[in-house]
Amino acid sequence: MTTAQFRTLERERRFQNPPKDKSAYPMLEAAVAPHVGSFNQLVENDSNEGLLNMAVKDIGYKTMFDSVDTDRLGNKLRIRVDAVEITKPTIPNNDKLSINQKTLPYECRERMISYKGKLRLKVAYSVNDEPEVTEFRDCGLLPVMLKSNRCHLQNLSPAELIDHREESDELGGYFIVNGIEKLIRMLIVQRRNHAMALIRPSFGNRGPSYSKYGIQIRCVRPDQTSQTNVLHYLNDGNVTFRFSWKKNEYLIPVSMILKALIETNDREIFDGIIGDDLSNSFLTDRLELLLRSYNKTYGLYSKQETLAYLGDKFRIVFDGTPDLSDIEMGKIVLEKIVLVHLNGTATTNMDKFKMILFMIRKLYSLVSGDCSPDNPDATQHQEILLGGFLYGMIVKEKIEEYLNNFKLQVQSDLTRGLKVNFNERKYIARVFQRINENIGQKLQYFLSTGNLVSQSGLDLQQVSGYTVVAEKINFHRFIAHFRMVHRGSFFAELKTTTVRKLLPESWGFLCPVHTPDGSPCGLLNHLSHKCEITTIPSNVSSVPSVLSKLGVMSANTVCAGPSMCCVQLDGKIIGWTTHQQGKVIADTLRYWKVQGQENLPVDLEIGYVPPSNKGQYPGLYLFGGASRMIRPVTYLPTSGTDYLGPFEQVYINVAVTPEEIESNTHSHVEESPTNILSILANLTPFSDFNQSPRNMYQCQMGKQTMGTPGVGLVHRSDNKLYRLQTGQTPIVKANLYDDYGMDNFPNGMNAVVAVISYTGYDMDDAMIINKSADERGFGYGTVYKVEKVDLGMGRRKGEAPTQHFGFGDDDWPEEWQNTLDTDGLPMIGSKVEEGDPIVAYFDDVVGKTKVKTYHSNEPAYIEEVKLLASEVGNEECQQITIKYRVTRQPLIGDKFSSRHGQKGVCSRKWPTTDMPFSETGIQPDVIINPHAFPSRMTIGMFVESLAGKAGALHGIAQDATPWKFNENDTPADYFGDQLLRAGYNYHGNEPMYSGATGEELRADIYIGCVYYQRLRHMVNDKFQVRSTGPVNSLTMQPVKGRKRSGGIRVGEMERDALIGHGTAFLLQDRLLNCSDYTQSSICKRCGSLLSTQNSVAKIGKLSSVRCRSCSTKFSKTSKFVSESEIWEDGQGKKFVGGGDTTTIAIPFVLKYLDSELAAMGIRLRYNVEPK
Amino acid sequence: MSSPQREGFTAPSSISHAAQGYVASKSLGVKYHCAQCGSSFSLNKTDAIRCKDCGHRVIYKARTKRMVQFEAR
Repeated sequence: MTTAQFRTLERERRFQNPPKDKSAYPMLEAAVAPHVGSFNQLVENDSNEGLLNMAVKDIGYKTMFDSVDTDRLGNKLRIRVDAVEITKPTIPNNDKLSINQKTLPYECRERMISYKGKLRLKVAYSVNDEPEVTEFRDCGLLPVMLKSNRCHLQNLSPAELIDHREESDELGGYFIVNGIEKLIRMLIVQRRNHAMALIRPSFGNRGPSYSKYGIQIRCVRPDQTSQTNVLHYLNDGNVTFRFSWKKNEYLIPVSMILKALIETNDREIFDGIIGDDLSNSFLTDRLELLLRSYNKTYGLYSKQETLAYLGDKFRIVFDGTPDLSDIEMGKIVLEKIVLVHLNGTATTNMDKFKMILFMIRKLYSLVSGDCSPDNPDATQHQEILLGGFLYGMIVKEKIEEYLNNFKLQVQSDLTRGLKVNFNERKYIARVFQRINENIGQKLQYFLSTGNLVSQSGLDLQQVSGYTVVAEKINFHRFIAHFRMVHRGSFFAELKTTTVRKLLPESWGFLCPVHTPDGSPCGLLNHLSHKCEITTIPSNVSSVPSVLSKLGVMSANTVCAGPSMCCVQLDGKIIGWTTHQQGKVIADTLRYWKVQGQENLPVDLEIGYVPPSNKGQYPGLYLFGGASRMIRPVTYLPTSGTDYLGPFEQVYINVAVTPEEIESNTHSHVEESPTNILSILANLTPFSDFNQSPRNMYQCQMGKQTMGTPGVGLVHRSDNKLYRLQTGQTPIVKANLYDDYGMDNFPNGMNAVVAVISYTGYDMDDAMIINKSADERGFGYGTVYKVEKVDLGMGRRKGEAPTQHFGFGDDDWPEEWQNTLDTDGLPMIGSKVEEGDPIVAYFDDVVGKTKVKTYHSNEPAYIEEVKLLASEVGNEECQQITIKYRVTRQPLIGDKFSSRHGQKGVCSRKWPTTDMPFSETGIQPDVIINPHAFPSRMTIGMFVESLAGKAGALHGIAQDATPWKFNENDTPADYFGDQLLRAGYNYHGNEPMYSGATGEELRADIYIGCVYYQRLRHMVNDKFQVRSTGPVNSLTMQPVKGRKRSGGIRVGEMERDALIGHGTAFLLQDRLLNCSDYTQSSICKRCGSLLSTQNSVAKIGKLSSVRCRSCSTKFSKTSKFVSESEIWEDGQGKKFVGGGDTTTIAIPFVLKYLDSELAAMGIRLRYNVEPK
Repeated sequence: MSSPQREGFTAPSSISHAAQGYVASKSLGVKYHCAQCGSSFSLNKTDAIRCKDCGHRVIYKARTKRMVQFEAR
């Protein structure tokens, strides 16, 4: 067994002298490779010209004419984007002061700006097909990904990274937008270029006679944008081709597409679908109908006729220009819509034709039940949409929008009668000026909100939720963001739970443990730690020749149907072979690719689907594209490393351990069984001993731990950062812990844990902390909060500042200087409490010095004050950030957890004198209750305790990698032996003595070392108490919300409980006295709450409460009334009577209800007794 | 409680001042450091927020020279 090591010296040396060549943690870099790799593909790189340059080629020309007459076209202007450039982030052009021209990421974090480079488009246009004129247009600043090839940090060594104020092993893979680190989520989408058989009831909703059967293919262009095509089966046997374009769906008879693609005839189509299966009357009947009904309805026979028909129908939809003929338009439709992944070769149309025939046959097989539907929720039919690719797709769409806007601007100039002259440079420049060129800003919007603003929808199912904040709560949280894959927010609303299921197909690709519980369960997965995503399409150029060498018949042979093995490479039919031969070819290809022979890429996916009885449609499907999940396994025949994809894995026997291998069964063996787990799941010690939900909980809690977010905290300005002051390396750790460099970011501390029911304060998942351990710094943490003060907030651009930091000449309280320096900014290191001034500024408008005060009931220390220059950089100080340090020593009520999903709340800090002690005089740091174990079955925690104890006694680190032990070699024996040799009890129990009495406890206590995490949920952020406080002005009831010092509602269920207990007095207290208790006057005679008022006091008579509606108005003419009986209201009106009032206690809302009802003409009358 | 307002000891300028308990309030001056090159300098109220040496746009305020003292409890 490999033992774990502390590697303390190695680590210390690395901290002192960071490596000057490369990172010590290549596995960390591999973890974010999908993000960085996909972004690197956007612009020119080692392997190709860049996705954006491919994208602008795909966009092509926009053509416009300058005539308003309908009978002539006028001059023609064609405009296109020739190339796209993205520069590395630099300082603004007008900045002449800075020595360093680069903008570095740390500056963006500190100044809360975005890390972006210039986006430049090389626009080319030609008038009347004359030579092109090119021009560079600046299209705003585009946020760029850190550590990508557009970032200054790319390829820097740890030593250089530290010089650039980054972590020594900065990963990159995210963007900085307004100082916040954002990353684009990886999304699960349908596997590209593979026709998938689907049965979906919703397919039937397309129209009458539509059935639930369909064949769907997601075709991906070389620039990674996609277009989905669907073939629908109609109940009469017809087949329709469906696509969506700019969020609208269009349906075309499939025969029309077939006949438009190549010059063909019904015989060719018939043979291409049926092959030699002429006796299958199910097929022949339907096919006959398909061909006959089409000919009858449309009567289009030649390719040209069909193209012209298509072009005519789709001219408007595809924004066709008048200079194009219908036939040309038809060709454009086919190129933009039909099986777009096959574009760009000489045989494109033939390939598309063949593929559609294949799809029709697969559809008929599905309908007749000869093949099963493919499961879209299985990893087999999925791939990952990578952030960089999505980013490129959006940029592409925005560039196309830009060209369209150019065209629209010209058209609007024409309609408004302005002079349009394409030959005049000034005019072209004017058009450019009039349109919105800021593409970078749109991408920044996308990153900061995660909302996709798109005309086409980009073939995706959601419009929001594409980006997340890469929170740096601790390193676990941070690294998990980059391995996270989401199924799509569309599925989150789905009532069915089938999409959330853990399927065996995911083995080794998605971690079975690391998914949150609750609503995103099963939708938000994490990649297994060895799972890679291809970002560069593999070089598959040699595959066709290798295949033909292996005896694959050409695609032109008349062959069809599941009786033959169709060989496809990335959605293109290469040829046909027999099933027996197909298996041999697949095996040979695999052998060769692992050996590196025949120029085959090792990550080529060789999905051989054998013929089966009503199973998956057979064939040999090869994939070499980007975005595929692959994972390394050992190939048994050569012992070399093979990369498996999820499509082929289903048909391959992979042994989990070498012992398991059976000859003639297994062709592969796992490199390690832990490869199926994600990074975080791998860090749970002895997770194979735990009940599985506990491991899920640990994956969640590891991410909420108050740990070490990073080392360069000085150069960060996150709103809130948690930091554990006394982090340690765990004694018990998986070997992968070191491979991922987790020691750089400690996440907890080792504690001596006794499992004992001691004082009763450890009931119900509470834990007792040794007071002395607390005083030694166990779990001591700090929260850093950053507040930004911007005096220029309300100011418009270009205006002179009216508020200035610092004190003015007017009089201001002397005590402001207790925390503030002469510059008006707080002194670093000083303590601030609620209401203390944190910054002083002089306001020109009122001519007074003002202060902003500290708003938090928790005292804090001023850690840092940063003065930030504006973008222009020649103004006086207007923006500062203040970083507060809030000390958070462990308190009663703070949450802790071990690494086994065993969380608990600190209930007491018990004096060390009263803690139990062992025979060696050891006292536990933490006491937990034994009742925490039986129902939760976290045996891993016992094992960790045992291993930790043995490790601490011998001074060694213990390997906690799962699946290292077995029934014959148990950890209890392994660590028990170690304990025995250290002179301890074999089982980890020890006699202990009561700390209070000194008597020996009746039972031996299980005591050992467990690594404890302090979770970020702390009472100080949560407690809510109130006796009196702010009330709602309308109802006079207490307000809600902790922030406003409000109360907690005693709701209906709480009320029921109090009633059930018969605690009427308590109920009265909660619902009335502590809520809106009011004393109100009421008229006993008329029973009205609203008509009473106070009379005006007079000489010899106090003010009294009178009912206005029961009193009569006094006038001089009326009969004599004694002066003492006359009362006066506030307006000098005199009344008599209405004195029959009294005071009652009511809830104030009753009064409110009364007045609301009165407004509707309903009177409430109260009977008041005694009269 | 905390009393950061108390200034550090400064020698009285003369015997008579000392007798009266009068302490010459010496301006301590606020210093700033550049986030990029680390150079130390002072800033006037109207100065642009740029490092005097390298022109960098982020400036840290230096820790105060006044005595900052808390009760350790």
